[in-house]
Amino acid sequence: MHIDYSQEAPAVAGRLTLSQIEELVARPLDTKPDRKYFIALSISGSLLLLGAICLGISFYYGIGLWGNNQPVGWAVPIVNFVFWVGIGHAGTLISAILFLLRQKWRTGIARFAEAMTIFAVICAGIFPVIHTGRPWLAGYLLPYPNQHSLWVNFTSPLLWDVFAVSTYFTVSLVFWYIGLIPDFATLRDRTTSKVKKTIYSIFSLGWRHSSRHWQHYEKAYMLLAGFATPLVLSVHTIVSFDFAVSILPGWHTTIFPPYFVAGAIFSGFAMVVTVLVFVRKIFNLENIITLDHLEKMNKVILATGMMVGYAYGMEFFIAWYSGVQAEQFVFINRAFGPYAWAYWIMVSCNVIFPQLFWFRKFRRSIPVMFVIVILVNVGMWFERFVITVTSLHRDFLPSSWGYYKPTFFDMGILLGSFGLFFTLVILFTKSLPVVSISEVKAVADGAQPTHRGGHHE
Amino acid sequence: MSDYREENNLQNNPDPNYWRSFEELYKNEKTLEARNHEFADGVTDDFNPNESLSGISRRKFLALLGASAAFAGVACSDYRDKGEIVPYNVKPEEIILGKPNFYASTCTACPNSCGILIKTREGRPIKVDGNPEHPVNRGKICAKGQANILNLYDPERIQQPLKKNSAGFDNIDWKKADSDIIAALSMAGSKEISIVTHTISSPTFLKVLEDFKSKFPSTKVYSYELFNNSNRNSAWIKSYGSGNFPLIKWNEAKVIVALDSDFLGVEGNRIENSRLFAESRDVNSKSFNRLYVIESSMTLTGINADYRMRIRPELQFAFVMSLMNELNKKGVISTSLASGFSLSDFVEKNNLDKEKVNYLINDLIAYKGKSIIHAGDLLPENVHIAVNILNDLLGNKNLYRNDSSPVNLINLASLDEIKELVGKISNGQIAAVIHLDCNPVYHFPSDLNYKNMLGKVPIVVTLTERMNETAQFSNYILPVNHNFESWGDAKNRTGVISLQQPVISPLHNTRQKEAILLTWISSSPETFSETLYHDYLMKHWETDIYPSLKSKIEFKQLWFGALHDGFLLTNESAQNVGNINLSSLDLNQASIDTKGITLILRESYQVGDGRFANNGWLQELPHPVSRITWDNYAAISHNTAKSLNVENDDLVEVSVGGRKLTLPVFIQAGNADDTITIELGYGREFSGIVASGVGFNANQLLSSKPDFSNWVYSNASITKAAGKYSLASTQEHHAFDNPRTQDLHLKRHIIQEGTVSLYEKKPDFIQEHRPKELESVYTPFQYNEMKWGMAIDLNKCLGCGDCIVACNVENNVPVVGKDQVLKSREMQWLRIDRYYSGSPDDPRVSVQPMLCQHCDQAPCENVCPVVATTHSPDGLNQMVYNRCVGTRYCSNNCPYKVRRFNFFNFRDHFRDGYQESSLLTLMFNPEVTVRSRGVMEKCTFCVQRIEEARSEAARKGVPIKGTDVKTACQEACPTNAIHFGDINGKDSEFYKYRTHELGYYVLEELNVRPNVTYIAKLRNIHTEEL
Repeated sequence: MHIDYSQEAPAVAGRLTLSQIEELVARPLDTKPDRKYFIALSISGSLLLLGAICLGISFYYGIGLWGNNQPVGWAVPIVNFVFWVGIGHAGTLISAILFLLRQKWRTGIARFAEAMTIFAVICAGIFPVIHTGRPWLAGYLLPYPNQHSLWVNFTSPLLWDVFAVSTYFTVSLVFWYIGLIPDFATLRDRTTSKVKKTIYSIFSLGWRHSSRHWQHYEKAYMLLAGFATPLVLSVHTIVSFDFAVSILPGWHTTIFPPYFVAGAIFSGFAMVVTVLVFVRKIFNLENIITLDHLEKMNKVILATGMMVGYAYGMEFFIAWYSGVQAEQFVFINRAFGPYAWAYWIMVSCNVIFPQLFWFRKFRRSIPVMFVIVILVNVGMWFERFVITVTSLHRDFLPSSWGYYKPTFFDMGILLGSFGLFFTLVILFTKSLPVVSISEVKAVADGAQPTHRGGHHE
Repeated sequence: MSDYREENNLQNNPDPNYWRSFEELYKNEKTLEARNHEFADGVTDDFNPNESLSGISRRKFLALLGASAAFAGVACSDYRDKGEIVPYNVKPEEIILGKPNFYASTCTACPNSCGILIKTREGRPIKVDGNPEHPVNRGKICAKGQANILNLYDPERIQQPLKKNSAGFDNIDWKKADSDIIAALSMAGSKEISIVTHTISSPTFLKVLEDFKSKFPSTKVYSYELFNNSNRNSAWIKSYGSGNFPLIKWNEAKVIVALDSDFLGVEGNRIENSRLFAESRDVNSKSFNRLYVIESSMTLTGINADYRMRIRPELQFAFVMSLMNELNKKGVISTSLASGFSLSDFVEKNNLDKEKVNYLINDLIAYKGKSIIHAGDLLPENVHIAVNILNDLLGNKNLYRNDSSPVNLINLASLDEIKELVGKISNGQIAAVIHLDCNPVYHFPSDLNYKNMLGKVPIVVTLTERMNETAQFSNYILPVNHNFESWGDAKNRTGVISLQQPVISPLHNTRQKEAILLTWISSSPETFSETLYHDYLMKHWETDIYPSLKSKIEFKQLWFGALHDGFLLTNESAQNVGNINLSSLDLNQASIDTKGITLILRESYQVGDGRFANNGWLQELPHPVSRITWDNYAAISHNTAKSLNVENDDLVEVSVGGRKLTLPVFIQAGNADDTITIELGYGREFSGIVASGVGFNANQLLSSKPDFSNWVYSNASITKAAGKYSLASTQEHHAFDNPRTQDLHLKRHIIQEGTVSLYEKKPDFIQEHRPKELESVYTPFQYNEMKWGMAIDLNKCLGCGDCIVACNVENNVPVVGKDQVLKSREMQWLRIDRYYSGSPDDPRVSVQPMLCQHCDQAPCENVCPVVATTHSPDGLNQMVYNRCVGTRYCSNNCPYKVRRFNFFNFRDHFRDGYQESSLLTLMFNPEVTVRSRGVMEKCTFCVQRIEEARSEAARKGVPIKGTDVKTACQEACPTNAIHFGDINGKDSEFYKYRTHELGYYVLEELNVRPNVTYIAKLRNIHTEEL
């Protein structure tokens, strides 16, 4: 097959006109939700309710309802936290880093990915609070002046987490909102409903599509992209510090920051692909979220998957090379000990199956990619499980070893977090444009002035 | 102005006082008239209060408003009335608020009658320690004695007399109960009144029983113990003519050979045995005894052996005789008794380690007269006789103590006598059965059918603290005082009588058992008074004991002195061991068929014979060998398990002589093949929510016609049953065959051990492996003044677990229950780690107490986001409970995993809030915070004791010294393995241990700089290498 690599594939397929793009994206907002929508919402809402009930009971009786025990102080809730923070990373990477790198294909997926970032960080943010023994005292984690002269401990990575995650959430939210302003204005101009018009008017902040507005907007967007870019690296670096700063074999590893960031992007892209294959179908966005886009994301998944695989191997090498018995034991124990099943789920899902993306056919096949990204999602959850639980369950003193089994409540809360995530995603699809109208318009064919009527790079 | 007046028709005489308008000033009539009407005409025309408003008047409305505001205010406030704290109007004598009082008394938890010191706060007993001056236990007390305090406050104690009716029990008053029983007793006539009781160690109680007998002449006393030394007793009667076998100078023995004898675990006074044993395992004096253990089940004594061999109990006789023959052959002793035996044949046949047996023979020769062979209580008479003969021939009689010998106030009833009792019951020859604080329905062999027999007795009276199997089948249940509410005395040694005094008045409507009997003797329920037995006791001492002392001081003085001290020393001489009767040995019993499986029933380390089954602290105390809590089990060797095709937790059916029991299996390393060991004391019924349903009642396997010994049954069988049962262990079971996990404690230098000969050659051999101290990028904190530290001598630590219970009591540690132990959430601040190395047949066992190491560079401290765990300038790692949010990061980062997290409010979680009973809250140590749910906790080095010592030092104006503080574990350790003090106090005893050449830290290479030093264990074996 001959591919002309000198010419970039068009970001928007189907030669859509600007008004068609607008029409396509805005349509879900103009129509009433259908039966399918409510079915989807009720499923995710039920999961959310299950999680809320499990959480409520846990608050009432204590977190002893979970499987956590003496050697394994952190388990599923922390696994969920790291998992959801990781999911968030794709959005920021797509919207900020790819923006700075002038990757036009990002426009079709950036909005959705960013929204998923925010929802994932909301899901993640719940866990550090609820996993504590006394969540009602979570305020102690904030450095506020008080008459007891009590201060927080700035040497604790958990405190860094508080700042890293809250900064990340704030910046992502602002970035997302700035990107939405021109679209709010477009929607305001389109809508006939008075209520909607008022709401869109408020949120569009008086946007008039003037050149001046666009100039400020572009500047602000770029600055925020620049601001968000280091966060992609910093947040998961700091999350990895929760582990790396400790002295526990299996946690105390310098490879963790890059390993966690790669893993986060890996899992985040997998989640974005998981959701987008549905969204593009349901909302007829195949021309805006094209197979080319999905293929590009699959390439990123392949690349980051191998980075993660490299990290798995390097951990073993360093454990052997360090000569530290406890360290060596932890890694051997991961692969062959009581949690070997979790380890091999992780390796096969994260390293082995994504290798199929070497083949163009698989990269462009919706069913294949769907199966693989689901496996990656599972694998990345298990990666965090393996890191957290297997390191803790057999550490220095064999006398204190134990085995951890998650309980119904652990799993209920995990499902609840998925319920929360998808409820937010589903509500998002009917209330905000899932694709950035203004950005897609800007990369559509003929949108930019050219000398020869075609692309110029 | 005039115009205005005229226009408004005003009069010209202004009122000088006050006015609101000119009309008023000039007294316009209309205006003045209008002032009398609040509303102008017509304004209220449409307003009819009765129609447009509800009938509530304004007053009523305001009253209701006020009331609802008050109600709302009350409802919304979270004020809970927790009662008031008021000062004493009249201060009780002796009590100073906030200061503990100590009273000397005697422990009645077992027949050993150790001296105790009870700590009370504001009149509440809160802690029990050994009486430091008591000559027998010297300031130490076992786990049961420590945990006895929980029995005092047990909310399930029976609180008033009960009388059986058709459906259950009625509450009755004492007068009614007493008069009913007195009537029944006086009708007995020639029919027997049977009194069933445990060992009687109180001379005054014996006197009460004698009085009882003279009042009711048909009385017969049956004293029994489920675990007793009757075999040893009868052997001594045959060998030496007296059943009062001597005590042993364990501390002077160079070689100790224990044959199925758990003298460090459950036999004899183990507190005293342990102390004497550990005295000669001392690194400072470099004197080491050598312990050979030849046993069938892995015992506490077995894990401390230098050489251990496993044989079935039936073979012990042949083993002793073979030793005798070998020694005879070598010309060390001269006897013809053992001519039929050959050691080499025995070794060959039973697959013993030839080398070990040779060492044993050579040691018995080399240390002739300085060695002791000791047979266990469960072995039959002939083994004891053989052992007596061998000790006698080797001249080991030197090691029999001559300062004091045991005293039996009353002989235990033999199995035949008990059978006779049951026979009399079935023939209707018994008028009444009185159970004095004992539980024969549970303890007697089930084939006696004692439970059903009780139905044939006209009146059955049970005196007990709490409901049990026997009380359930009694006509009257009379609640008795707890140990700490009672008067008494005890004598089970020559030369010392202990006194027992109450430290709290009875919590419930209970009486002490002696007073109940005295009331019956008097024939009048009115006789009872609070001081009835107290007066009797004093009178008995004055008239019977005092004259025999020939004391020069007057009685009152002597009495109060003895009461203060808790005991009285007398110059009674010990009984001498006579000459041995060599013909006492019956060789015909020697041949015993050892085919099939042998069942061995042993006493539980934790709950004794079941008396302490309702004590959560003891149920949760891990078994010293298997680390299992809350259950008993069938312990079998791994070979036996393999041949049965069973794994841990599989249910098996054990049957012997038609008696059957299904219980889970536990593969115990070091157990003899083809033996099953089951501990008794579990499977209690009707005995409280803690005890009921815990474990399995293996007493069912006891027979009234044992052919070998009461506790050992040959020809038992074991078959796999369907199903599994989870045993809750505090430590993962060890896989011997997994190279990844094998010997990790040695590879990681957690346990560092050597041998005595290596130590003699190279005293600093431990220091060679120690990593160099690493440089820190920070300037470390300089501890220039006080710095607390601990040193644990692993040579002395036997792994008994007394320290764990002491810590629980001192620090208000909750009981979490089996379900939580299964989830590895036990809360004990101090644990004993047990490691195996070597093969499952012949494991080398190492124990190590593990508690917070109070590291200088504590990894827990820097990861806490809220600074809830901090370091004190005197070197303590502290927990700030109020600040803790419960992230558990500290626990994750603790390499020793000694932190404990309150996953629940465990007091509320365990058995439906059993521990939140208002009675049990009286037990708390008021100096230690009771931790709530969601909070991390851990060992504090008993900071409350440190602070108490500090304020005491400040009061005296002197600096605090390291010796001012003793931690609870240190106080409880029977072998003094734990030392605590000031690391900077260079002239202290503790400093010697802190800087000992055998000292090391666990996980030193992490550079966390722990403050607990472990003194490496030395094994006294013949080689330098382990």
